[in-house]
Amino acid sequence: MYNAKGSDSESDLPILKEGQLDIISHSVEQTQRFGARLGTLLQPGDVICLAGDMGAGKTVFAAGIGSGWGVELPLTSPTFNLVHEHTRRADAQRLFHLDCYRLNSAAEIEAIGFEDILNGRGPVIIEWPERITEALPRQRLWVELRVLEPTRRNLVFAGSGKRAEELIASFRELTFGI
Amino acid sequence: MTTVLGIETSCDETAAAVVLDGRTILSTIVASQIDLHARYGGVFPEVASRAHIEAIGAVVEQAVHDAGVGYDQIDAIAVTRGPGLVGSLLVGVNYAKGLALATGKPLLGINHLEGHVYSLWLTEPNREIKFPVLVLIVSGGHTELLLMEDHGQYRRLGGTLDDAAGEAFDKVGRLLGLPFPGGPNIERAAMMGNAIAYKFPRAKRDDSYDFSFSGLKTAVLREVTVPPASGEPRRRGETPRLRADVSINDVAASFQDALVSALVDKTARAAKAYQVTEILLAGGVSANQVLRQRMRAEAGLPVRYPPLNLCTDNAAMIAAAGFYRYRAGLRHGLELDVKPMWPLTSDAYTR
Repeated sequence: MYNAKGSDSESDLPILKEGQLDIISHSVEQTQRFGARLGTLLQPGDVICLAGDMGAGKTVFAAGIGSGWGVELPLTSPTFNLVHEHTRRADAQRLFHLDCYRLNSAAEIEAIGFEDILNGRGPVIIEWPERITEALPRQRLWVELRVLEPTRRNLVFAGSGKRAEELIASFRELTFGI
Repeated sequence: MTTVLGIETSCDETAAAVVLDGRTILSTIVASQIDLHARYGGVFPEVASRAHIEAIGAVVEQAVHDAGVGYDQIDAIAVTRGPGLVGSLLVGVNYAKGLALATGKPLLGINHLEGHVYSLWLTEPNREIKFPVLVLIVSGGHTELLLMEDHGQYRRLGGTLDDAAGEAFDKVGRLLGLPFPGGPNIERAAMMGNAIAYKFPRAKRDDSYDFSFSGLKTAVLREVTVPPASGEPRRRGETPRLRADVSINDVAASFQDALVSALVDKTARAAKAYQVTEILLAGGVSANQVLRQRMRAEAGLPVRYPPLNLCTDNAAMIAAAGFYRYRAGLRHGLELDVKPMWPLTSDAYTR
């Protein structure tokens, strides 16, 4: 079971800015732990967009979110199927994991029942959200992952909407105690 | 004698087949959408569903006609119920339901991965398979290592933790500017390349039978593309540029070697640990010649793999799996639903 109170003391203190959080991950494992902390906070209707280049760590971060949230089966890349619907045993809730890597426009996402997925049936993780910008809901948490060095990544959290700001604040408190 | 009609539409192939006793193919028809999807760099769901709808009637009729049987000689209708794209699965399942209703034949919803497993029962039908066997399913959407102790009895030893093997081929192929699908094109380029030109990460030598190909993909990316200028992130969505001095053939060969090594190392180790009689390869990536050759050489066991037309998605494998499920008593009603996520385990059909 994931321990939410685990220490990330090796990481730098976050850069504090209104409604934003800017942190560094030093390893794949740490990126996963950050994801897991966020995962513990998610509720139905939350939309988490994971942006960044191939190899930036989006699926790693998503897998962390899944483990923190409590998925029955570990999250793997949904590139092939475009959407993976996960469940957790505790309360039969669902979590949706989308990948827009292969899509070229916002219109194409409708074909997989995007509106239905957004209808608050569970939290939604979206990789490559920049491919479908126009279709994204206004209320969302945007996490940008950037490659700094082979193992170091910069994660920038930016929220739009009250719920996303709440998520950032709770995540910051859970991770850094501030 | 039991004759099963199989229908498969889980992804980008509309397929139907008639199989006798789970081992002999009477007919197998596949309408491929690969040309249609090549321009999307992969399967695109709405296009796939529409193409399935257009093709399915003719494909099923052709399969029944080519088998030289009438519906009265068919004992059961087996259809892929999952895993796969929901819109695509629905086309096959709804068609099968209509057919079951019209003909009064029993309906069976089959697991697509189990279909891949049973593609091996259609390969060399006269050479019996003795349990336990190890099955490695490697395709665009799946990487599964299963210990099979009897018909329908699977122990999942491992699978991918991130990208599927075929997905890694596709993504690296795209990175190298090779056409879709990545697998055969990387294999072709690799034949002219040096497999030790680049040192890409190998599988960790740990106790697990899980695979991870995301790190390999990232290593290739780092090796072959122009790094973004001094710490500045790449512009959003921008396609990384290949370095001028990169040999595509050498990268393809080195990447393929690293990926195949991971598959072979873990499978050979599991084969030894579980004392299996044979290794069965299935799925699109099992068409890879280097994988076949190295598996045989390094596991020291017989390795069985399907002919090319049974490696990729087809309905004969669904009919074959359907035969064993029919024999075991499985029957579904017309309320049969689709299961886009459906891992293959021993209790897959009961939970």
